[in-house]
Amino acid sequence: MYCLSDEQIDYILNDIRRNGVEMEDLQLNLLDHICCIIEQELKEGDDFEHFYQQTVRRFYRNNLREIEEETIDLLTFKNYYAMKKALIVSGASSVTAFIAGSFFKFMYWPGASILLTLGIVSFSLLFLPLLFILKSREVKTVSDKFVIAIGILVGIMFSLAILFIMMHWPGANILLFSAIGGAAFVLLPTYFFTGIRRPETKLNTILMSIILVGVIGLQFTIARLRPSPFDKVATANFVQNEALLKVLVPSQPSEAAAGIYKTCTELKELLLRQAVGATAIPADYDERKLYLHDSKLGDAFFDNGPGVQLLTTLKEQAKQFNSGAQNGVMVIGAGMPALVDDPQRVSHNYGCISLLNSIEQLQIYVAVADAKNTTAAK
Amino acid sequence: MIFSSELIKGTLKTIVLKLLSDNKKMYGYEITQRVKDLTGDRIQLTEGALYPTLHSLEEEGLVTTELEYMGKRVRKYYKLSASGKTRSKERVSELAEFMETMRVLLDIQPKIA
Repeated sequence: MYCLSDEQIDYILNDIRRNGVEMEDLQLNLLDHICCIIEQELKEGDDFEHFYQQTVRRFYRNNLREIEEETIDLLTFKNYYAMKKALIVSGASSVTAFIAGSFFKFMYWPGASILLTLGIVSFSLLFLPLLFILKSREVKTVSDKFVIAIGILVGIMFSLAILFIMMHWPGANILLFSAIGGAAFVLLPTYFFTGIRRPETKLNTILMSIILVGVIGLQFTIARLRPSPFDKVATANFVQNEALLKVLVPSQPSEAAAGIYKTCTELKELLLRQAVGATAIPADYDERKLYLHDSKLGDAFFDNGPGVQLLTTLKEQAKQFNSGAQNGVMVIGAGMPALVDDPQRVSHNYGCISLLNSIEQLQIYVAVADAKNTTAAK
Repeated sequence: MIFSSELIKGTLKTIVLKLLSDNKKMYGYEITQRVKDLTGDRIQLTEGALYPTLHSLEEEGLVTTELEYMGKRVRKYYKLSASGKTRSKERVSELAEFMETMRVLLDIQPKIA
Protein backbone atom coordinates (compact mmCIF):
# COMPACT_ATOMS: atom_id res chain seq x y z
CA MET A 1 0.00 0.00 0.00
CA TYR A 2 1.30 3.41 -1.04
CA CYS A 3 1.89 5.82 1.81
CA LEU A 4 0.88 9.43 1.15
CA SER A 5 2.96 12.20 2.66
CA ASP A 6 1.40 15.31 4.21
CA GLU A 7 2.70 17.42 1.32
CA GLN A 8 0.97 15.16 -1.16
CA ILE A 9 -2.30 15.40 0.76
CA ASP A 10 -2.00 19.19 0.78
CA TYR A 11 -1.26 19.11 -2.92
CA ILE A 12 -4.47 17.15 -3.59
CA LEU A 13 -6.61 19.36 -1.36
CA ASN A 14 -5.25 22.50 -3.00
CA ASP A 15 -5.91 21.07 -6.42
CA ILE A 16 -9.50 20.24 -5.47
CA ARG A 17 -10.00 23.78 -4.21
CA ARG A 18 -8.35 25.30 -7.25
CA ASN A 19 -10.75 23.39 -9.47
CA GLY A 20 -13.66 25.25 -7.99
CA VAL A 21 -15.02 22.90 -5.35
CA GLU A 22 -16.02 25.25 -2.56
CA MET A 23 -18.18 23.16 -0.23
CA GLU A 24 -15.89 22.05 2.58
CA ASP A 25 -17.80 18.83 3.09
CA LEU A 26 -17.33 17.89 -0.51
CA GLN A 27 -13.64 18.82 -0.46
CA LEU A 28 -13.05 16.44 2.43
CA ASN A 29 -15.05 13.67 0.82
CA LEU A 30 -13.15 13.96 -2.44
CA LEU A 31 -9.78 14.23 -0.69
CA ASP A 32 -10.36 11.05 1.29
CA HIS A 33 -11.67 9.28 -1.77
CA ILE A 34 -8.70 10.18 -3.93
CA CYS A 35 -6.30 9.27 -1.14
CA CYS A 36 -7.95 5.85 -0.85
CA ILE A 37 -7.61 5.21 -4.57
CA ILE A 38 -3.96 6.26 -4.59
CA GLU A 39 -3.18 4.14 -1.54
CA GLN A 40 -4.80 1.12 -3.14
CA GLU A 41 -3.58 1.46 -6.69
CA LEU A 42 -0.32 3.42 -6.77
CA LYS A 43 2.85 1.39 -6.44
CA GLU A 44 5.89 2.50 -4.51
CA GLY A 45 8.17 4.45 -6.84
CA ASP A 46 5.43 5.41 -9.37
CA ASP A 47 4.94 9.06 -10.40
CA PHE A 48 2.45 10.49 -7.86
CA GLU A 49 1.40 13.62 -9.74
CA HIS A 50 0.84 11.83 -13.00
CA PHE A 51 -1.22 9.14 -11.32
CA TYR A 52 -3.20 11.73 -9.38
CA GLN A 53 -4.12 13.69 -12.50
CA GLN A 54 -5.26 10.52 -14.22
CA THR A 55 -7.33 9.48 -11.23
CA VAL A 56 -9.08 12.78 -10.77
CA ARG A 57 -9.83 12.86 -14.50
CA ARG A 58 -12.16 9.88 -14.00
CA PHE A 59 -14.35 11.92 -11.66
CA TYR A 60 -15.89 14.30 -14.17
CA ARG A 61 -16.77 15.03 -17.77
CA ASN A 62 -15.56 18.62 -18.19
CA ASN A 63 -14.36 19.87 -14.83
CA LEU A 64 -14.36 18.91 -11.20
CA ARG A 65 -16.83 21.64 -10.29
CA GLU A 66 -19.59 19.55 -11.89
CA ILE A 67 -19.75 17.46 -8.73
CA GLU A 68 -20.43 20.50 -6.63
CA GLU A 69 -22.98 21.84 -9.11
CA GLU A 70 -24.76 18.50 -9.15
CA THR A 71 -24.79 18.50 -5.35
CA ILE A 72 -26.26 21.98 -5.15
CA ASP A 73 -28.81 21.06 -7.80
CA LEU A 74 -29.91 18.00 -5.86
CA LEU A 75 -30.12 19.96 -2.63
CA THR A 76 -32.20 22.76 -4.13
CA PHE A 77 -34.34 20.45 -6.17
CA LYS A 78 -35.51 18.85 -2.97
CA ASN A 79 -36.95 22.20 -1.95
CA TYR A 80 -38.52 22.72 -5.34
CA TYR A 81 -41.88 21.20 -4.50
CA ALA A 82 -42.04 22.91 -1.13
CA MET A 83 -41.29 26.22 -2.86
CA LYS A 84 -43.93 25.62 -5.49
CA LYS A 85 -46.46 24.97 -2.75
CA ALA A 86 -45.37 28.11 -0.88
CA LEU A 87 -45.68 30.05 -4.13
CA ILE A 88 -49.25 28.97 -4.71
CA VAL A 89 -50.30 29.41 -1.08
CA SER A 90 -48.70 32.85 -0.73
CA GLY A 91 -50.08 33.99 -4.08
CA ALA A 92 -53.61 32.81 -3.40
CA SER A 93 -53.72 34.21 0.14
CA SER A 94 -52.24 37.57 -0.93
CA VAL A 95 -54.82 37.97 -3.64
CA THR A 96 -57.64 36.91 -1.33
CA ALA A 97 -56.53 39.39 1.35
CA PHE A 98 -56.16 42.08 -1.27
CA ILE A 99 -59.59 41.58 -2.82
CA ALA A 100 -61.27 41.24 0.58
CA GLY A 101 -59.45 44.40 1.71
CA SER A 102 -60.67 46.35 -1.32
CA PHE A 103 -64.22 45.20 -0.68
CA PHE A 104 -63.95 46.16 3.02
CA LYS A 105 -62.64 49.56 2.04
CA PHE A 106 -65.48 49.99 -0.40
CA MET A 107 -68.00 49.12 2.32
CA TYR A 108 -66.22 51.24 4.97
CA TRP A 109 -65.85 48.17 7.15
CA PRO A 110 -63.12 48.01 9.78
CA GLY A 111 -59.90 46.14 9.02
CA ALA A 112 -59.67 47.18 5.38
CA SER A 113 -56.22 48.73 5.70
CA ILE A 114 -54.78 45.76 7.56
CA LEU A 115 -56.07 43.33 4.94
CA LEU A 116 -54.82 45.45 2.05
CA THR A 117 -51.40 45.98 3.63
CA LEU A 118 -50.99 42.30 4.45
CA GLY A 119 -52.10 41.32 0.96
CA ILE A 120 -49.79 43.69 -0.87
CA VAL A 121 -46.79 43.08 1.38
CA SER A 122 -47.01 39.30 1.10
CA PHE A 123 -47.66 39.58 -2.63
CA SER A 124 -44.65 41.78 -3.29
CA LEU A 125 -42.18 40.48 -0.73
CA LEU A 126 -43.08 36.78 -0.65
CA PHE A 127 -44.95 35.71 -3.75
CA LEU A 128 -42.97 37.71 -6.33
CA PRO A 129 -39.48 36.84 -5.00
CA LEU A 130 -40.45 33.15 -4.85
CA LEU A 131 -41.75 33.42 -8.38
CA PHE A 132 -38.39 34.84 -9.42
CA ILE A 133 -36.44 32.00 -7.81
CA LEU A 134 -38.57 29.36 -9.49
CA LYS A 135 -38.90 31.01 -12.89
CA SER A 136 -35.22 31.93 -13.17
CA ARG A 137 -34.35 28.27 -12.68
CA GLU A 138 -36.48 27.29 -15.62
CA VAL A 139 -34.62 29.45 -18.17
CA LYS A 140 -31.10 28.85 -19.32
CA THR A 141 -29.70 32.07 -20.79
CA VAL A 142 -28.49 35.06 -18.84
CA SER A 143 -30.66 37.45 -20.84
CA ASP A 144 -33.80 35.46 -20.01
CA LYS A 145 -32.89 35.53 -16.33
CA PHE A 146 -32.33 39.27 -16.59
CA VAL A 147 -35.75 39.85 -18.16
CA ILE A 148 -37.39 37.86 -15.36
CA ALA A 149 -35.43 39.75 -12.71
CA ILE A 150 -36.43 43.13 -14.14
CA GLY A 151 -40.04 42.04 -14.55
CA ILE A 152 -40.26 40.89 -10.94
CA LEU A 153 -38.53 44.03 -9.69
CA VAL A 154 -40.95 46.27 -11.58
CA GLY A 155 -43.83 44.20 -10.19
CA ILE A 156 -42.58 44.58 -6.62
CA MET A 157 -42.08 48.34 -7.02
CA PHE A 158 -45.47 48.77 -8.62
CA SER A 159 -47.41 46.91 -5.94
CA LEU A 160 -45.48 48.64 -3.16
CA ALA A 161 -46.20 51.98 -4.85
CA ILE A 162 -49.92 51.19 -4.73
CA LEU A 163 -49.58 50.37 -1.02
CA PHE A 164 -47.68 53.62 -0.38
CA ILE A 165 -50.28 55.67 -2.24
CA MET A 166 -53.07 53.98 -0.35
CA MET A 167 -51.46 54.50 3.05
CA HIS A 168 -50.31 58.06 2.21
CA TRP A 169 -46.73 57.15 2.98
CA PRO A 170 -43.99 59.42 1.67
CA GLY A 171 -42.14 58.34 -1.46
CA ALA A 172 -45.18 56.80 -3.13
CA ASN A 173 -44.85 58.87 -6.30
CA ILE A 174 -41.12 58.17 -6.63
CA LEU A 175 -41.83 54.45 -6.38
CA LEU A 176 -44.65 54.61 -8.89
CA PHE A 177 -42.62 56.55 -11.45
CA SER A 178 -39.59 54.30 -10.98
CA ALA A 179 -41.82 51.30 -11.61
CA ILE A 180 -43.41 52.81 -14.71
CA GLY A 181 -40.04 54.07 -15.95
CA GLY A 182 -38.40 50.71 -15.30
CA ALA A 183 -41.19 48.96 -17.19
CA ALA A 184 -41.03 51.34 -20.14
CA PHE A 185 -37.29 51.83 -20.54
CA VAL A 186 -35.69 48.64 -19.20
CA LEU A 187 -38.21 45.80 -19.08
CA LEU A 188 -39.93 46.45 -22.38
CA PRO A 189 -36.78 46.78 -24.56
CA THR A 190 -34.97 43.81 -23.00
CA TYR A 191 -38.09 41.66 -23.17
CA PHE A 192 -38.79 42.63 -26.75
CA PHE A 193 -35.28 42.12 -28.07
CA THR A 194 -34.65 38.81 -26.34
CA GLY A 195 -37.98 37.37 -27.44
CA ILE A 196 -38.11 38.66 -31.03
CA ARG A 197 -34.91 36.86 -32.02
CA ARG A 198 -36.33 33.42 -31.48
CA PRO A 199 -38.86 32.34 -34.12
CA GLU A 200 -40.90 30.26 -31.66
CA THR A 201 -41.46 33.19 -29.29
CA LYS A 202 -41.70 35.96 -31.90
CA LEU A 203 -45.48 36.30 -32.13
CA ASN A 204 -46.03 36.04 -28.40
CA THR A 205 -43.33 38.62 -27.77
CA ILE A 206 -44.92 41.12 -30.14
CA LEU A 207 -48.37 40.62 -28.62
CA MET A 208 -47.11 40.81 -25.04
CA SER A 209 -45.08 43.93 -25.86
CA ILE A 210 -48.16 45.65 -27.27
CA ILE A 211 -50.12 44.77 -24.15
CA LEU A 212 -47.25 46.00 -21.98
CA VAL A 213 -47.07 49.30 -23.88
CA GLY A 214 -50.82 49.66 -23.46
CA VAL A 215 -50.73 49.02 -19.74
CA ILE A 216 -47.78 51.36 -19.19
CA GLY A 217 -49.55 54.01 -21.26
CA LEU A 218 -52.74 53.66 -19.24
CA GLN A 219 -50.77 53.86 -16.01
CA PHE A 220 -49.05 56.96 -17.26
CA THR A 221 -52.40 58.54 -18.11
CA ILE A 222 -53.80 58.18 -14.62
CA ALA A 223 -50.57 59.05 -12.84
CA ARG A 224 -50.67 62.56 -11.45
CA LEU A 225 -47.74 64.14 -13.20
CA ARG A 226 -48.62 67.66 -12.15
CA PRO A 227 -50.89 68.65 -9.29
CA SER A 228 -54.32 69.75 -10.41
CA PRO A 229 -54.74 73.56 -10.64
CA PHE A 230 -57.75 73.27 -8.32
CA ASP A 231 -55.49 71.85 -5.62
CA LYS A 232 -53.16 74.79 -5.94
CA VAL A 233 -56.01 77.28 -5.44
CA ALA A 234 -57.50 75.24 -2.61
CA THR A 235 -54.15 75.20 -0.84
CA ALA A 236 -53.68 78.94 -1.32
CA ASN A 237 -57.19 79.53 0.09
CA PHE A 238 -56.41 77.44 3.11
CA VAL A 239 -53.15 79.29 3.75
CA GLN A 240 -54.98 82.65 3.43
CA ASN A 241 -57.68 81.56 5.85
CA GLU A 242 -55.06 80.42 8.34
CA ALA A 243 -53.46 83.89 8.17
CA LEU A 244 -56.87 85.53 8.57
CA LEU A 245 -57.61 83.32 11.55
CA LYS A 246 -54.42 84.40 13.27
CA VAL A 247 -55.61 87.99 13.10
CA LEU A 248 -59.17 87.24 14.18
CA VAL A 249 -58.54 85.03 17.18
CA PRO A 250 -58.21 87.26 20.26
CA SER A 251 -55.32 86.70 22.64
CA GLN A 252 -57.76 85.83 25.42
CA PRO A 253 -60.75 84.03 23.99
CA SER A 254 -63.64 82.85 26.13
CA GLU A 255 -63.29 79.40 27.62
CA ALA A 256 -65.84 77.85 25.30
CA ALA A 257 -64.17 79.33 22.23
CA ALA A 258 -60.70 78.22 23.38
CA GLY A 259 -61.97 74.63 23.61
CA ILE A 260 -63.26 74.80 20.05
CA TYR A 261 -59.97 76.25 18.77
CA LYS A 262 -58.03 73.47 20.42
CA THR A 263 -60.18 70.71 18.94
CA CYS A 264 -60.12 72.38 15.53
CA THR A 265 -56.33 72.69 15.64
CA GLU A 266 -55.98 69.02 16.49
CA LEU A 267 -58.33 68.07 13.69
CA LYS A 268 -56.42 70.18 11.20
CA GLU A 269 -53.12 68.71 12.29
CA LEU A 270 -54.52 65.23 11.81
CA LEU A 271 -55.72 66.06 8.32
CA LEU A 272 -52.56 67.92 7.30
CA ARG A 273 -50.26 65.18 8.50
CA GLN A 274 -52.07 62.82 6.21
CA ALA A 275 -52.16 65.25 3.30
CA VAL A 276 -48.72 66.88 3.34
CA GLY A 277 -46.87 64.99 6.05
CA ALA A 278 -46.62 67.98 8.42
CA THR A 279 -48.91 69.64 10.94
CA ALA A 280 -49.02 72.88 8.97
CA ILE A 281 -48.65 73.87 5.34
CA PRO A 282 -44.99 74.91 5.01
CA ALA A 283 -44.25 78.45 3.82
CA ASP A 284 -42.49 77.19 0.69
CA TYR A 285 -45.32 74.83 -0.26
CA ASP A 286 -45.59 76.36 -3.71
CA GLU A 287 -41.94 75.77 -4.61
CA ARG A 288 -42.12 72.26 -3.24
CA LYS A 289 -45.40 71.61 -5.08
CA LEU A 290 -46.84 70.44 -1.81
CA TYR A 291 -50.55 70.87 -2.41
CA LEU A 292 -53.63 69.62 -0.66
CA HIS A 293 -55.96 67.52 -2.67
CA ASP A 294 -59.43 66.34 -1.92
CA SER A 295 -58.41 62.75 -1.26
CA LYS A 296 -60.37 60.38 0.92
CA LEU A 297 -60.00 60.77 4.66
CA GLY A 298 -57.39 58.65 6.39
CA ASP A 299 -57.85 55.87 8.92
CA ALA A 300 -58.21 58.35 11.78
CA PHE A 301 -61.67 59.15 10.45
CA PHE A 302 -62.95 55.59 10.50
CA ASP A 303 -64.15 53.25 13.24
CA ASN A 304 -64.20 55.70 16.12
CA GLY A 305 -60.60 56.73 15.36
CA PRO A 306 -59.12 59.94 16.83
CA GLY A 307 -60.62 62.04 14.02
CA VAL A 308 -64.13 60.73 14.70
CA GLN A 309 -63.72 61.37 18.41
CA LEU A 310 -62.52 64.93 17.85
CA LEU A 311 -65.52 65.65 15.60
CA THR A 312 -67.84 64.35 18.31
CA THR A 313 -66.11 66.55 20.89
CA LEU A 314 -66.45 69.51 18.56
CA LYS A 315 -70.24 69.12 18.45
CA GLU A 316 -70.38 69.06 22.24
CA GLN A 317 -68.19 72.14 22.46
CA ALA A 318 -70.41 74.00 19.97
CA LYS A 319 -73.43 73.29 22.18
CA GLN A 320 -71.57 74.62 25.21
CA PHE A 321 -70.56 77.71 23.29
CA ASN A 322 -74.18 78.39 22.32
CA SER A 323 -75.49 77.94 25.86
CA GLY A 324 -72.80 80.31 27.12
CA ALA A 325 -73.62 82.98 24.54
CA GLN A 326 -75.84 85.27 26.57
CA ASN A 327 -78.90 86.66 24.82
CA GLY A 328 -77.90 84.54 21.88
CA VAL A 329 -76.12 87.28 20.05
CA MET A 330 -74.30 84.98 17.70
CA VAL A 331 -74.73 81.24 18.02
CA ILE A 332 -73.20 78.44 16.02
CA GLY A 333 -75.86 77.12 13.67
CA ALA A 334 -76.40 73.36 13.71
CA GLY A 335 -76.00 73.39 9.94
CA MET A 336 -72.32 74.40 10.00
CA PRO A 337 -70.55 71.83 7.84
CA ALA A 338 -67.85 71.22 10.47
CA LEU A 339 -70.53 69.90 12.85
CA VAL A 340 -70.84 66.61 11.06
CA ASP A 341 -74.22 64.90 11.54
CA ASP A 342 -72.76 61.49 12.17
CA PRO A 343 -69.02 61.65 12.84
CA GLN A 344 -68.80 57.85 12.36
CA ARG A 345 -69.75 58.33 8.73
CA VAL A 346 -67.76 61.48 8.05
CA SER A 347 -65.69 59.73 5.37
CA HIS A 348 -68.84 59.19 3.30
CA ASN A 349 -69.44 62.88 2.73
CA TYR A 350 -66.13 64.69 3.20
CA GLY A 351 -62.77 64.67 1.52
CA CYS A 352 -59.60 66.10 2.93
CA ILE A 353 -60.03 69.64 1.57
CA SER A 354 -63.74 69.91 2.26
CA LEU A 355 -63.30 68.88 5.89
CA LEU A 356 -60.31 71.21 6.36
CA ASN A 357 -62.27 74.12 4.91
CA SER A 358 -65.31 73.37 7.06
CA ILE A 359 -63.20 73.36 10.20
CA GLU A 360 -61.42 76.54 9.16
CA GLN A 361 -64.73 78.22 8.52
CA LEU A 362 -66.09 77.21 11.92
CA GLN A 363 -63.00 78.62 13.61
CA ILE A 364 -63.36 81.96 11.81
CA TYR A 365 -67.05 82.05 12.64
CA VAL A 366 -66.36 81.31 16.30
CA ALA A 367 -63.65 83.99 16.41
CA VAL A 368 -66.07 86.62 15.13
CA ALA A 369 -68.98 85.39 17.26
CA ASP A 370 -66.85 85.21 20.38
CA ALA A 371 -65.64 88.79 19.94
CA LYS A 372 -69.19 90.03 19.32
CA ASN A 373 -70.64 88.18 22.28
CA THR A 374 -67.95 89.43 24.61
CA THR A 375 -68.58 93.04 23.55
CA ALA A 376 -72.33 92.58 23.94
CA ALA A 377 -71.89 91.13 27.41
CA LYS A 378 -70.03 94.21 28.48
CA MET B 1 -21.23 -5.56 -19.57
CA ILE B 2 -21.08 -2.24 -17.72
CA PHE B 3 -24.49 -0.64 -17.26
CA SER B 4 -25.24 2.83 -18.58
CA SER B 5 -25.26 5.72 -16.16
CA GLU B 6 -28.93 6.47 -16.95
CA LEU B 7 -29.91 3.09 -15.54
CA ILE B 8 -27.81 3.58 -12.44
CA LYS B 9 -28.96 7.13 -11.79
CA GLY B 10 -32.51 6.17 -10.91
CA THR B 11 -31.43 3.41 -8.55
CA LEU B 12 -28.40 5.02 -6.92
CA LYS B 13 -30.23 6.16 -3.81
CA THR B 14 -31.69 2.70 -3.34
CA ILE B 15 -28.27 1.09 -3.75
CA VAL B 16 -26.68 3.41 -1.19
CA LEU B 17 -29.53 3.03 1.31
CA LYS B 18 -29.46 -0.76 1.00
CA LEU B 19 -25.68 -0.94 1.44
CA LEU B 20 -25.87 1.26 4.51
CA SER B 21 -28.62 -0.88 6.01
CA ASP B 22 -26.42 -3.96 5.59
CA ASN B 23 -23.32 -2.28 6.99
CA LYS B 24 -23.18 -0.21 10.13
CA LYS B 25 -21.27 2.71 8.65
CA MET B 26 -19.45 3.30 5.38
CA TYR B 27 -17.42 6.00 3.69
CA GLY B 28 -17.56 7.03 0.05
CA TYR B 29 -14.67 5.05 -1.33
CA GLU B 30 -15.83 1.97 0.57
CA ILE B 31 -19.27 2.24 -1.03
CA THR B 32 -17.86 2.32 -4.56
CA GLN B 33 -15.58 -0.63 -3.83
CA ARG B 34 -18.37 -2.66 -2.26
CA VAL B 35 -20.64 -2.10 -5.23
CA LYS B 36 -17.84 -3.07 -7.58
CA ASP B 37 -17.14 -6.26 -5.63
CA LEU B 38 -20.77 -7.27 -5.25
CA THR B 39 -21.54 -6.80 -8.94
CA GLY B 40 -18.32 -8.25 -10.29
CA ASP B 41 -17.25 -4.86 -11.68
CA ARG B 42 -20.47 -4.51 -13.66
CA ILE B 43 -21.70 -1.49 -11.72
CA GLN B 44 -19.09 1.17 -11.10
CA LEU B 45 -20.44 4.16 -9.24
CA THR B 46 -18.87 7.39 -10.39
CA GLU B 47 -17.71 9.84 -7.77
CA GLY B 48 -19.57 12.56 -9.63
CA ALA B 49 -22.86 10.79 -8.95
CA LEU B 50 -22.15 9.26 -5.55
CA TYR B 51 -21.21 12.35 -3.54
CA PRO B 52 -24.10 14.57 -4.64
CA THR B 53 -26.42 11.69 -3.74
CA LEU B 54 -24.82 11.23 -0.31
CA HIS B 55 -25.15 14.95 0.38
CA SER B 56 -28.77 14.99 -0.63
CA LEU B 57 -29.51 11.91 1.54
CA GLU B 58 -27.89 13.75 4.43
CA GLU B 59 -29.96 16.84 3.75
CA GLU B 60 -33.12 14.75 3.71
CA GLY B 61 -32.16 13.34 7.10
CA LEU B 62 -32.03 9.75 5.85
CA VAL B 63 -28.37 9.34 6.77
CA THR B 64 -26.28 10.73 9.59
CA THR B 65 -22.57 11.32 9.42
CA GLU B 66 -19.60 10.83 11.63
CA LEU B 67 -16.13 12.28 11.09
CA GLU B 68 -12.93 10.39 11.67
CA TYR B 69 -9.73 12.42 11.72
CA MET B 70 -6.76 10.66 10.17
CA GLY B 71 -3.79 13.00 10.26
CA LYS B 72 -4.36 15.58 7.56
CA ARG B 73 -7.39 13.80 6.21
CA VAL B 74 -10.91 13.59 7.48
CA ARG B 75 -13.01 10.57 6.66
CA LYS B 76 -16.73 11.02 6.62
CA TYR B 77 -18.71 7.94 7.56
CA TYR B 78 -22.35 7.61 6.61
CA LYS B 79 -24.92 5.59 8.45
CA LEU B 80 -28.69 5.22 8.26
CA SER B 81 -30.94 7.25 10.52
CA ALA B 82 -34.21 5.79 11.82
CA SER B 83 -36.14 7.28 8.91
CA GLY B 84 -33.39 6.09 6.57
CA LYS B 85 -33.96 2.51 7.67
CA THR B 86 -37.65 2.70 6.87
CA ARG B 87 -36.95 4.42 3.57
CA SER B 88 -34.34 1.79 2.66
CA LYS B 89 -36.93 -0.99 2.97
CA GLU B 90 -39.48 1.03 1.01
CA ARG B 91 -37.08 1.80 -1.82
CA VAL B 92 -35.89 -1.79 -2.11
CA SER B 93 -39.40 -3.22 -2.28
CA GLU B 94 -40.44 -0.46 -4.67
CA LEU B 95 -37.54 -1.33 -6.96
CA ALA B 96 -38.36 -5.04 -6.73
CA GLU B 97 -41.90 -4.33 -7.85
CA PHE B 98 -40.63 -2.06 -10.57
CA MET B 99 -38.34 -4.80 -11.86
CA GLU B 100 -41.21 -7.26 -11.88
CA THR B 101 -43.36 -4.77 -13.80
CA MET B 102 -40.56 -4.13 -16.27
CA ARG B 103 -40.16 -7.85 -16.75
CA VAL B 104 -43.80 -8.10 -17.78
CA LEU B 105 -43.73 -4.88 -19.79
CA LEU B 106 -40.63 -5.77 -21.74
CA ASP B 107 -41.66 -9.40 -21.97
CA ILE B 108 -38.40 -10.74 -20.58
CA GLN B 109 -38.39 -14.51 -20.25
CA PRO B 110 -36.86 -15.59 -16.98
CA LYS B 111 -33.74 -17.63 -17.59
CA ILE B 112 -34.22 -21.18 -16.56
CA ALA B 113 -31.16 -22.39 -14.83
